[in-house]
Order: sequence, then C-alpha cells, then structure tokens
Amino acid sequence: MTDFRTPLRDMRFLLYNVLDFETHFARLQDRTLVTRDLLDPILDEAARFSETELLPLNAVGDVQGCRFIEGAVATPPGFKEAYATYVANGWSGMTGATAYGGAGLPHSMSLIVEESMTTANMAWTMYPDLSHSAMNALAAHGTEAQKQQHLTRLLSGEWTGTMCLTEPQAGSDVGLVRTRATPNADGSYAITGTKIFISAGDHDLVDNILHLVLARLPDAPAGTKGISLFIVPKKLPNPDGSNGARNGVVCSGLEEKMGIHGCATCVLNFEDAVGYLVGAEHAGMRCMFTMMNAARLGVGMQGVGLAEAAYQRSLAYARERLQMRSLTGPQNAEASADPIIVHPDVRRMLLTQKAFVEGGRALAYYAAQQADLAEYGPTEGREAAEAMLSFLTPIVKAFITESAFESVNHAVQIFGGAGYIEETGIEQFVRDARITLIYEGTTQIQALDLLGRKVMLTGGVALLVVVGEMHALAQTCAESLPRLGHELQRIAAEWASLSMAVGGRAQADLNELGAASVDYLMYSGYAVLTYFWVRMAHVAHQKLQVGNDAYLAGKIATAEFYVARLLPRAEAHKRAIEAGSGVLMDIESAAFDHS
Amino acid sequence: MPEYTAPIRDMEFVLFDLLHAERTWQRIPALAEVSRDLVSAVLEEGAKITAHELAPLNQIGDQQGAAWTAGAVTTPAGFQQGFRALAQGGWLGVAGDPRYGGQGLPKMLTIALEEMFYAGNTSLYLCGTLTVGAATCIANHGSDAQKTLYLEKLYAGQWTGAMALTEAHAGTDLGIMRTRAQPVADGTYHITGTKIFITYGDHDLAENCIHLVLAKLPDAPGGTRGISLFIVPKFLVGSDGALGQRNAFAAGSIEHKMGVKGSPTCVMNYDGATGYLIGEQNQGLAAMFTMMNYERLSVGIQGLGTADAALQAASRYAAERVQGRSPLGPDNSDGPADPLHVHPDVRRMLLTVRAYNEGGRAFAALVGRELDLAKYSPDADERDRAERFVGLLTPVAKAHLTDRGFECCVLAQQVFGGHGYIGEWGVEQFVRDARIAQIYEGTNGVQALDLLGRKVLRDGGATLDEFIASMRAESDTVDGLYAAAVNGAIDRLEAVTRRLVARAADDPALAGAASVDYLDLFALTAYAWLWGRMAGIAPDDAYGAAKRHTAAFFFARLLPRALALQASIDADSATVMAMSADSL
Repeated sequence: MTDFRTPLRDMRFLLYNVLDFETHFARLQDRTLVTRDLLDPILDEAARFSETELLPLNAVGDVQGCRFIEGAVATPPGFKEAYATYVANGWSGMTGATAYGGAGLPHSMSLIVEESMTTANMAWTMYPDLSHSAMNALAAHGTEAQKQQHLTRLLSGEWTGTMCLTEPQAGSDVGLVRTRATPNADGSYAITGTKIFISAGDHDLVDNILHLVLARLPDAPAGTKGISLFIVPKKLPNPDGSNGARNGVVCSGLEEKMGIHGCATCVLNFEDAVGYLVGAEHAGMRCMFTMMNAARLGVGMQGVGLAEAAYQRSLAYARERLQMRSLTGPQNAEASADPIIVHPDVRRMLLTQKAFVEGGRALAYYAAQQADLAEYGPTEGREAAEAMLSFLTPIVKAFITESAFESVNHAVQIFGGAGYIEETGIEQFVRDARITLIYEGTTQIQALDLLGRKVMLTGGVALLVVVGEMHALAQTCAESLPRLGHELQRIAAEWASLSMAVGGRAQADLNELGAASVDYLMYSGYAVLTYFWVRMAHVAHQKLQVGNDAYLAGKIATAEFYVARLLPRAEAHKRAIEAGSGVLMDIESAAFDHS
Repeated sequence: MPEYTAPIRDMEFVLFDLLHAERTWQRIPALAEVSRDLVSAVLEEGAKITAHELAPLNQIGDQQGAAWTAGAVTTPAGFQQGFRALAQGGWLGVAGDPRYGGQGLPKMLTIALEEMFYAGNTSLYLCGTLTVGAATCIANHGSDAQKTLYLEKLYAGQWTGAMALTEAHAGTDLGIMRTRAQPVADGTYHITGTKIFITYGDHDLAENCIHLVLAKLPDAPGGTRGISLFIVPKFLVGSDGALGQRNAFAAGSIEHKMGVKGSPTCVMNYDGATGYLIGEQNQGLAAMFTMMNYERLSVGIQGLGTADAALQAASRYAAERVQGRSPLGPDNSDGPADPLHVHPDVRRMLLTVRAYNEGGRAFAALVGRELDLAKYSPDADERDRAERFVGLLTPVAKAHLTDRGFECCVLAQQVFGGHGYIGEWGVEQFVRDARIAQIYEGTNGVQALDLLGRKVLRDGGATLDEFIASMRAESDTVDGLYAAAVNGAIDRLEAVTRRLVARAADDPALAGAASVDYLDLFALTAYAWLWGRMAGIAPDDAYGAAKRHTAAFFFARLLPRALALQASIDADSATVMAMSADSL
C-alpha cells in the first residue's frame, strides 16, 4: 500500500490561488525572495525526496523501531542514509539566516516542505523537526557566539537538536521541573537531572546532538519564573569545532510507545553535564515558548500530513475493493460486486477526511503566513500578525490533530478488517497520529491557552479580525454561493457572540474557563474551517467559470458537505459550553474513585 | 499495570432497581427460580475470577501475543490457566441449555459477566465468547445428535468454538464467498477453501476446536441464498464423543494486528476437511445470524468493558497524579501541585466516559431483557414483540457501545498525557484493543445500515414507533429535572424518523447517507431515557449522588450532540452522493 503522492495540486491551489503566497513573499523583508520560479522546484523536489527516500522507510520504521543497544540508540535501517541525503540536498538550512549558513527562506517554507516529508514518514521527519525548533530558539535568544558555534552546525545538518522539558513529575506543569544548573567558574553551568519523553534525544543519524534543557539555577524562584534555558551538547566541541569528549548526558532507555516507533523517545540523564545559558537567567520559559510555538504549528502540520496519507490510501482502497452492490443498482455489472466508493456511508467517511485534511491545510498555511509576517512582514503589521499567529496556533495544534485523529480512524474503517492488520499499513496512522493530541501541550493545554490567553486576555482582538474577514467573504459570496455565504455569515456572528459570553462568564468564575475550553476550541475549529472552506469554494467557483475541472468541482462539493454534515457539530459544542461548569465541578472528588 | 474491579454495585442497580429483573424472572417459568441472591453471588464470583485469573494476564498477552509455528498456534503465557478457570468455573455455560449441562440463567446476567471478562482480558475472553456463540448456534439449529455431541463439551470449555465466514475477497459481502462443500456418500461433506480473520481458529487452550464454516454446495444458487453452514471439528468426534483423527484443516498463518494481540487471528486452510451440515442446505446465513446476533451484542459489551477498564485506570490516575493548581487556588497545598481531577477539563473527560459507560451498561441490560423475553416469555405476543426489539436494538448496541467505547478509551488515554502513549502504563492497549470492535462482526457502518434500512425503514417505522411507545410508557420514574429533555429527545427521534420514512421513498441513497448519524441519534435518545430514569431512582447515598451528578452532566453536555446529528440526518443525501468519484 504505497499508492501515495504528495498533494501538489492542492498545495499549489492554496499557495497560488487562495492565499496568494507570491504577493505575500514579495512583502517580506530580510528574507530571500521566493518567487514561483523558486517555489515550484522546491515543492517538486520535496515531493520527490519524500516519495522516493522517506516513504519506503515508513513501514520498516514502524515495524523495527529504534533500538537501545549498549547505551546508544540505533535508528531503523535507512534512516541514517535518508538523513544524509536530506542534508546533502540542503534542506536543513533552508530557513536559517544566511549569516549562519542558511538559505534565508521564510518560516512558511519549512512548514510546507516538512508537510511533504511528514506525510511520507512522520517518525523520520521528527528528527529534522526538532532541529528546526532548536534553530528557532537559538536564532531568537542565542548570543552571537552561540549562533556561530551552534546554530551553524544545526543549519548545516551536522548536528540535530532536542527540546528537554518534561520530567517524571513535570509534564503539563513545567513549573515543577527539578533539574538543577550550578554555575561553574568558567561561566558555564553543571546540569544535573532526569528528562523523559525526549524525542530524538539520542540516535545515530549524526555525531552530535544539541540539547536545549530547562533547569533551575540555585535559589531560583519556584514555579515557571525560576526556569532557565541551557544548551547542552552531547559531545563538547573542541576549540577547532570538531566534536570532542562526551558530555555528562546519557540516554538510559527508550520508551515502548503506541506509535512513531522510528522516532527515539529517550530518558536522558544529565549528570554534571556542561551547559551554556541561553537568554537571561530565569527567562527560560519565554525562550522555550519561541520554539514551542513553531513546534505547535509543526504538530498541526503532522496532523494534516497523517490525515492526507491515510485519506489517499483509503480512497484508493475504496475505488478498488469490490463489495456489495450500489443501492441504486449495479455500477460494475461485469464484476462480482461494486467498488465500495459507491456506498453512501463510505463516501461520508471519505468526504469527512477530505474536509478535515484540505481545510486543515488551508488553516495551517494561513497561520504559516502569519508567522512570516510577524517576523519579516512590513513593520507596522508585525504586531497584528503576531496576535493572529498566537490566536491561531492553539487551534492549528489541537483542532487539526483532533480532526486528523478522527480522519485516520475513518480511513481504517473504510479498510474494514484489513485496516486492523499491520501489513496493510493503515493502522499505523492511527497509532502515529495519537501522539499529536498529547505532545507539545495536550489538547487541554491548547484549549486553555486559546480561551484564557488568546481570547480573554487580549479582548479577542485577533478573533474579531478573523470574524471580520469571514463577514466580508460572506458578502462576496452571497450571490455566487448563497448557502455557503449564509452559513459563513451565521457562524461568524455566532462565534463572536459566543466568545463574548463565555469570556464574561469565565471572568466571574475561574472554573468556567476550564469547563468551556475544549468545547470552545473545537467550536472555534469548526468555525474557522468554515471560513477556509468557503474561501476555497469561492476561488474554485471563479475558476470554474472558464471550464470544467473535477478537482475544483470537488472543492465546492466538499464545502457543501462540510457545512451540511460537519459544521452542525458546532451547535453541540456551543450547548456544552453554555451548560456551564456546575455539572463538572459540583461533584465531589471522591465520587470519581467509585467504580 | 491497570487494576480492574467489576462495577457490581452499578450492575445490580441496573438489573434490580432500573429494570426490575426479579419481577420479569418471576413471571417466566423458565427463570422463576432465579433470585437476586443467586445473581449477586454469581456476580461476586465473576468479579473474583476476573480479578484473579483474567486481568493479570491482559498486559502480558499484549506483549507476548499469540504465536504461530509449523501450522500450530500457541497462546501467551498463562492463557491456558486463565481459560481453564473460565471453563472449569462453568462460566461458558451460564446461559446454556440445562438439558445439555448449561445452567439456564438469564441473558441479563451473562451480559454483566461478559462485561467483566472483557474488561479483564479481551483477548482471552474472545475465545470464551466464540465458544458460547458456537454453542448458541448449535442449540438453535443443530440436530439432537449434534446437540448431544457438542453442547456439553462447549459449555464446559473442554472444546472451543470458532466462526469461519470471511474470505479474502468476501468480507461484508458474504454472498461472493468461494469455499466449497462437496457431498460425500456417508452424508458428510468435504470442505475446501481458505478463510481469513478467524479468531481463535487454532490455539492451545483446549483439546478440540469446533469450527462453524460457511460454504457453498455444488450448484448452489448465487449470492447469500446459496450458502450452507457446517460443523468442522479440528479433531473428528466419534459418536461417543471421543476424539478421533485430526481433520484436514490447519492455520496457515496468523495476522499481526494493531491490538487484541493475545487472540490469534488465523488464516484457515480447509483441504477437503470433513464437515457436517447444520440446519438446512442453503440456509447457512440464517443459521449463522443466530451466532452473529449473539456475537454482535457481545462485541458491543466488549466496547463497554474495555472502556470501563480504561475509566477505572484514568480515575485512579486523576486522583494520584499531581500537576498544576486548581483554578480556584491550591486544593492540595501540602503537595507540589493538585491532583488532576481538580481540573475542569479532566473532569469533563472522566464524566464523559462515565456517562457513556453507565448509560451503555443500562442499554445493554435492556437488550438482554428483550433477549430473555424473546426466548422464554410464555406469552407469544410478548415473545414476538421482544424479538422485534432485539432486532432493532442489537445493531445499536454493537455499533454505539463500540464507537463510544473507542472514544472513551481515547479520552481515558488523554487523561494520562504522555504516559498514555507508553506501553507500560497499559492504557494505550485499551485503545488498540477497542479499535477492532468497531470493525468485526459487521462494521459499524453495516450495523447502521441494518438499523435504518432493515429495522426502521423496511416496516415504515412501525417497530420504531412501538419502541418509542414503550419508552413513553416507561417514563414515570424519570427525574422531573429531565422530563422535558427526555420527552424532547424522544419527540425528536420520532420526528426525524418520520421525515426519513417520507424522504426514503424516492431516495435510495438516503438510508446509507444518514444511517451512521441516525444510529447515534437513536442511542443518544435511549440513553437520555435511561439516564432520566436512573436519576429518578438513584438512592440517597454517595453512589446515588454520583449517579445524579453524572445524569446532570449527560443532559447538559452530551445530549446536545443530538442537535448536530439531527441536522446532519436532515441534510440532503446529495451532500455525499453528488460529487463525482473523480473529485474525491
């Protein structure tokens, strides 16, 4: 089951027709100008690399997984060679500053290229993903010397990166971190503690790994205000830049996980490891958030990629698998049965996947534009772009992964019993996708972030911008696509008023925030996806005036499906939000223990 | 490793307080001697063997998995002893025919027992449920000689059962199967063909394995009307019940699966194997449906049992794991953080699982009651009505309990955060194990089409109306707080159904387009009715208080999903059918 192609048509439709990335790129400052002549070959080359180098390693990575042998991690066969090709092709430094050896492309380019790769092989793509997060943190907060010494190695692909936050007692509650950093006489620090769930924490793709570690200085304040960020290389560099002695950090074991078996999830023990402070003392959380925000967009993109991969396979299967006759009479009379794509419920499952995948991709690309604009856009618009990015990030991370998990389960269901069998290759997507709802902040954490910090704390400034865009688009399509325009207008108005109402209640009762948050996030996801579906349908409608095209017709039909069959779920979330916190909080804690 | 305690208190509440099982049993001669004391004692014993014999093997079963070597299957370490406990304790014959060594106890009771066994160890209990299912099929369709030969051994777990339907090209569409049955002069048949996905098709848990195989006779009509059912034992059985020579079939391999790894899923090659016709020629599918209906309800219970095991693990974790502070200020100021269950959204997840599990437990018991009435009621009209209700409710139980079961396992896993993704905590196994229940014994899409197409639309909604009337008739104990919501939900189901009946007349695609959402709406309505009644009769103690809180949660936060389902059902079937296949 490797019948899979990078969805270049859909990617280009968004990039060139819906979101006009050509104009977007032309507005950016301090970045290499991305024209269509540059972008098209990058897309093609990323697709080729993903399909020919990464896709063949996806199943083997799952079956063999990483192995922990005599204190070191061995990645699955082929991973190392694919990484070498990746580096040789120059992908690793794509978005880094030219001053440090990067190609200077905007952020969005790495997200788009990573989509291609993660669709083919999520577990493998996590290694460069984590490097990318570390690059972002160093670029934003490192000293010039640190950039020269470390960022250059990450951009060249010689080293990879990690993010070391979680400890056994400190997961969502990062403030409970215990790892200690003691100042050394030479200005460095001795880092001691245990970190768990460290993706790509040890492996054999490269000789050196740059860990970014959260730790506490002596006498640091308690909680998140007392956490600092440190660079801890696996091997200490010699003065000439070559890799020297092993630092005091070892991988003591790998987790046996539900999925992403090709990605090493490590327990890392730091024992007086030499570390170097990044940014100010006690400002570690803020530095880490730089990399976490980009990582959260990346996780949303993993959701898009996995859902795309599973959608394509289930679509191919639905076209080939013969089983039962159409309810309206045989469609394939010469064979023993009809292809299952004739059955309405199979179509419902395919369309649900298509709606989530393509809608999620549009949302993620839009957010990626905001990431470009927040850093490199015209100065006067940067603050607004930052606000928009902050607002959309939890939706991208949590709604896309939640809907992707539903999506990949539909794909398995279309395969029937064959879907449950490893060799078919489809159940892997369910196991791989499941982590995306958990790591980089669970859906719950994203939901609190969205409602508490991004809506209530800001007065909903970015939300109102999106709502405004929705109203404007609804007007534009009022005549060409009346039902879509009407639904868009309705949900935009309702989203705004619901946000006001829930914000008001949460000010008065702090439990309301947590009680409403996940339903609010899901509601917001359905609302914002309406926007992108109508946008896509609107563009498709315009282009269809000049001639028939199945792909474009599919955009309009999927938009219609979306508003008729998926958007109604928003109403259930709205009612749940309006039910308030009492039904959650009035019950005694002890009652949960009863069984 | 997750620990599991059977929810006996809730099971007894459902049986005796909600459904008044004793009253039903007393007026049915075949069940008149079943008392509350007896049932309670059986539940206690079932809980014990679950805790001591089944649950401790669950995780090791997943880690080791079943293995295939040289044509034979070995089960994970300890499974033999666990199955022996089920067999020797008489747990497979609880509802069996007393004339052949069964105990003749009601289905309502075995549903509760099955929930425990699945919760304790789904992979192992699958062998039990297939054995009971095979016995049920033989009891209903076998000759007296076949019953005498097989039932006692199956009830005793001395032999086990397997059902062989699926072939590589024939899954949902059984009519296109190719396995052949060639008549032999002595009245037996030679069965030749390959079946796939045969659960416990081969194993080392018992001395014999009785396959029920669907196959086609020479010159049989095409499609499902040309399928016959055969008993095909692994070891041939003499007329005295003694085991004879090995029959001509074997497991060619086993599948590597996402979950239920302790349960061997076999490719079975029948190479002129000796088979015995059960029931009439070409009537095999009807006979098999007896077994499949039994198994469908049982698979629904599997979804419930797994979800309850997951809930217990998550509730415990939420009480023990400290992370973050309550929004209202520290709740556990001596500790570094508060327990997870102070967080509103953790409560939302736990309450969602709980509301679905307890609603599902009541719904499953209701199906059990109708099965008992259909089988044992002295009143022919009551039997017929119960039979219709069983037909209506079985696809709902299978699909809804497993869909929600999977959703609930995923929510329980979410409570564990990163630890939920790691094998050693045992909770991700529940998710992997639960996933199959949405697929096998007829995918949930097939169940939904059965409900809407065959059980609702085919008689113009008459059976559905009858069930709605029965809900309205049994609404006097609904808590006043929820009376309007319950009535509104029932009215909504009725109105949506009326519209579907009217629209379906000239839209053949409608049933398929609306079926899955319709099944969910049906279930949610029935759950609302059951939750309203449970809230109304909940006792004045801590258990009853939790019950009422969970009811409040259900009505406020879960029942609104009916609005989304209604809108989706009311949508035109063109929303799924209009698009050309090329546009997908």
